[in-house]
Amino acid sequence: MPEFNHTVAKRVVVIPAYNESSVLTSVANSLLEKGYSIIIVDDGSNPSLSSHIQNLPVYYLRHRANLGQGAALQTGFDFAKKLNPDLVISFDADGQHDVNCIPSLIEPLLNNEADVVLGSRFLSEEKINIPFTKKVLLQIARGVNYLFSGLLLSDAHNGLRAFNRAALDKIIITENRMAHASEIIFEIKKHGLRFKEMPVVIAYTDYSKKKGQSSWDSIKILFDLILHKLFK
Amino acid sequence: MSGIQRLLLTGVALICLYIVIRLKKKLLDLVLLLALVAAAVVFILWPDITTRLAEKLGVGRGADLVFYVSILIFWFVVLKLYARIRQLEKSFTQIIREDALKKASGPSSIEPDSK
Repeated sequence: MPEFNHTVAKRVVVIPAYNESSVLTSVANSLLEKGYSIIIVDDGSNPSLSSHIQNLPVYYLRHRANLGQGAALQTGFDFAKKLNPDLVISFDADGQHDVNCIPSLIEPLLNNEADVVLGSRFLSEEKINIPFTKKVLLQIARGVNYLFSGLLLSDAHNGLRAFNRAALDKIIITENRMAHASEIIFEIKKHGLRFKEMPVVIAYTDYSKKKGQSSWDSIKILFDLILHKLFK
Repeated sequence: MSGIQRLLLTGVALICLYIVIRLKKKLLDLVLLLALVAAAVVFILWPDITTRLAEKLGVGRGADLVFYVSILIFWFVVLKLYARIRQLEKSFTQIIREDALKKASGPSSIEPDSK
């Protein structure tokens, strides 16, 4: 395993990426500008994403086969632990998250008020244009998460989250695909981690909508969740 | 013996042969299988037994009883398969993750190759 010199890697951003375009490059650049260390986990993209991040000072890991976003996140987390960070942030590769949301997102961690902070698009004061079906599905997802975990959150499946070291060490994602978003909530509950929701802005660009999940995916997520509980 | 009985018995025999060859070592599975085969053969040769059983259980016809029980067994098999698939996926994920961690490249190390 390669050794890395990382005296500055105190705030690490993990970006799971699959078949992304040059949007990934600009996402990485915007994060680098703010001084974050970046781990990009290429989830078996074809062609490989290495061309998009050439010459960028980022950590790059590649799954040799496509496993899903949950698996890519966990790989990123495992790698992040080697960098001995103070906190880790998960960030989407499709440009729908705003770098400027991070400082307020990590504030509860810095003040030691929470172990995990979850981004919520519904707490944001800024009126955002969430597509209608998306809105309905997210409400259903909230309910499902509540049923399974007992925690009622204002948002579901928001990829922008921040974890302190304790949370990073405790949370283990085993759901390879999108059900990992609910699994993280189960893990928070299971380990009794303190969590907080903070408003974040989600940009629904044509690109991110195309890359995002369809309604059919939510059925698959529900199915994965049931199996998750069944074969625990 | 009617045509359908011959057909079904041949099928059962072939499936049995195939599984016995595959499962030579697993005793419990083998015993279970032999019990199932015995039940199948008995029901094929004396279909009236299913009818009598069905009536006792409040099901109209023997064929219906066999049908319902088959659905249950089918569900059981599907669940077993899912459990198996998830198990496989877990090992698969672990292998791929280890490989990715081993080959990680960083800001200070060489350029990632495009394998």
